[in-house]
Amino acid sequence: MTNPILTSDGQLLSVKLKKAESHKRRTAFLLVLPLFLFVVVTYLLPIGSLMVKSIDNRELFSYLVNTNDSIHEWDGTGLPDETVYTAFYKDLTLAVANKKQGKIATRLNYEQSGYSSLIKKTSRKLKKFTEGEYKAQFIKADKRWGKTEYLLALQKATVAFHGRKYLTTFDLNVNSDGDIVQIPEKKRINVTLWLRTLLVAVGVTFSCFLLAYPIAHMLATTRAKYANILMICVLLPFWTSLLVRTSSWMVLLQKQGVLNDILVFFGIVADEQRLVMMYNMTGTFITMTQILLPFMVLPLYSVMKTISPTLMRAATSMGSTPLHAFRRIYFPLTYSGISAGSILVFVLAAGYYITPALVGGAKGVLISNRIAYHMQSSLDWSLATAMGTVLLATVLVAYWVYNRIVGIDNMRIG
Amino acid sequence: MSKLSKGLTLAALVSSAPLALAAEVNVVSWGGAYTESQMKGYGNPYQEKSGVTVNWIDYSGGLGSIRSQVEAGAITWDIMDVYAKDTIVGCDEGLFVEFDFDNDFPAGSDGSKASDDFFTEMPSKCAVGNILYSWNYGFNTNTFPSSNEPQTIQDFFDKDKFSGTRGIYASAMSNLEIALVADGVPAADVYSYMDEHGTDRAFAKLSELCADDGCWFWSGGAQPPEALVSGEVSMSTAWNGRLFNAMVAEKSPIKMVWDGQVLDYEYFVLVNGGPNQAEAMKALQYFTGSEGLAGSAKHISYAPFRKSSLDLIQDPWFEGPDGNLDIMPHMPTAPANTKNYILMNGEWWADNETDVNDQWEAWKAGL
Repeated sequence: MTNPILTSDGQLLSVKLKKAESHKRRTAFLLVLPLFLFVVVTYLLPIGSLMVKSIDNRELFSYLVNTNDSIHEWDGTGLPDETVYTAFYKDLTLAVANKKQGKIATRLNYEQSGYSSLIKKTSRKLKKFTEGEYKAQFIKADKRWGKTEYLLALQKATVAFHGRKYLTTFDLNVNSDGDIVQIPEKKRINVTLWLRTLLVAVGVTFSCFLLAYPIAHMLATTRAKYANILMICVLLPFWTSLLVRTSSWMVLLQKQGVLNDILVFFGIVADEQRLVMMYNMTGTFITMTQILLPFMVLPLYSVMKTISPTLMRAATSMGSTPLHAFRRIYFPLTYSGISAGSILVFVLAAGYYITPALVGGAKGVLISNRIAYHMQSSLDWSLATAMGTVLLATVLVAYWVYNRIVGIDNMRIG
Repeated sequence: MSKLSKGLTLAALVSSAPLALAAEVNVVSWGGAYTESQMKGYGNPYQEKSGVTVNWIDYSGGLGSIRSQVEAGAITWDIMDVYAKDTIVGCDEGLFVEFDFDNDFPAGSDGSKASDDFFTEMPSKCAVGNILYSWNYGFNTNTFPSSNEPQTIQDFFDKDKFSGTRGIYASAMSNLEIALVADGVPAADVYSYMDEHGTDRAFAKLSELCADDGCWFWSGGAQPPEALVSGEVSMSTAWNGRLFNAMVAEKSPIKMVWDGQVLDYEYFVLVNGGPNQAEAMKALQYFTGSEGLAGSAKHISYAPFRKSSLDLIQDPWFEGPDGNLDIMPHMPTAPANTKNYILMNGEWWADNETDVNDQWEAWKAGL
């Protein structure tokens, strides 16, 4: 039997070691704790609460508790019977007493246009209702209460939680039979925008890569004196306000802008046929590429800087052509930079908002502009948050795919 | 009291002192020439009279910001300048204060009580009117010489006779109305027509206009005059005061067409639970008094909402850069300008906005 090893003060070494290590772990944990709390409070909690908002219908539901008891027994054909109207009368009277009829009106209007005025008009007439025969009185107050679609919307809206906003996100809806169907063609917009957003994000990433690769290579290989000046050229736009840069592109690219003026001056295009490069996809694409370029250049540069020039020299001295050496030696060594730059640019481009809003015109807007519209204008926050959640999921999926293909450990930002 | 808490109290006193001393009111409006007219017309005079600082904040419409402020419990706005539809939705949402109209607002300078003095009934209990303005259109006089000038709303949609890109509002509001009128629907019937037959006819007419990059969409009031002057568009709808301002103050080569104009009312609302609600109410009473509303007409061609304000206006009333000008003939309400006009229906838009705007965005994306 071997004697346990003791420390100078007579304790077991293993115990002491454990103590020291757990102390270290505690210190490390305490050091990370502020950051952890910061992330939880400023990131996870708000995002979580937004995600809940996308399915949360409890507010409207709480105003319609009586209606809820009976309306779900209705099969959705024809009109519901007297009990439903009686229950709704109770709910609406209570809401009017608490001045909540407006909230019912706006919430129901998301389900069915026209509810905004219908609820208010009916609320005004509610005082004159007599007991009994509520169905007839409702229809007399406004004939829309005799239309199945309005009552169906009411039935649909009378649930505490529902995921229908996620269907709307993809231009889908639930019909009266409970099947998932596409919404009328003239109102389909979101799927177009999702596809367009993905296309733009991938396209911008690729064009950033094409432009950034030579720039980064030059930065990494020229003498320090010139490299510094070049670096400033790359970073200068980075430090300029996004709005200023976007507006400058407008000055350059618009029909009466600098670029068109030059083309007309040299007779390359006729004055009447000035190129349309702004307020469309071209404008969005060009501007976003320029704005996101530094996010590609910097990771590439930091990786290229570490590649020893002797490697290429060795390859050529062993008989490889410069092109072959580049393809087999240099390019593979920059993979980590390419992947880091690509994921950065892709994620930023997918959520881009202000540039498409300013230069996108009718055809250059992206899904984030639609989210902003629902936040700002229609006030359908449930839909906005559902769309935001889908956007977040898209980015996470892109990240996951990327991780499977490239591996996150291979990413290098600097 | 410990040293620390004494120190904290002192710090709190010092930091809150400037706020407590100078009362202020934060007013949110649409910026540019319009906000300037409000500032000069009643903001600054009120500031001088009462010693309350009036801060003007620009925005481009919508209730999203104020609703976020309310939900976050950090309201910074007191008074907002909003569309009729937004007074309805905001009032329903409880964002704005409901008025007791005749008690809250002073009688007109001619003694008539407020509810009689204002041109129409308010669209919601939270609204107090400030101006009547117009969505009309303007064109660049260099593009179209006087021998070949567009004159009607049909001309705006006639791309064979009048070439060039058209500027229209970035949202469906106002565009569906003018499209229907240009297509032959009587101006008084546009909303009942859409209630009955839907919006397809309006969209078809707009598709004709906007096919092949034929339209440029504006969202801020300063954009249309700019685009007209730069030549980006040959004609554009706009808020008439902004066009007038460009013509008079900046001497831009722009001319306005009033046929088929959409006459619209604009309102102030008082934010419920704003940081200076009591002061804001007093300021609002001054702003929307007979003199206040007449005052803003000195600086922009929007008609005051009170009848008594019109009596105060003595032409030449408008304070132009080269001396005073007549303003009454340039008002959207002038008899010569209202021969064929559409009256904006805020209630219709509050009802149908969600639905119509989905179709609008889908239409725009498919152009």
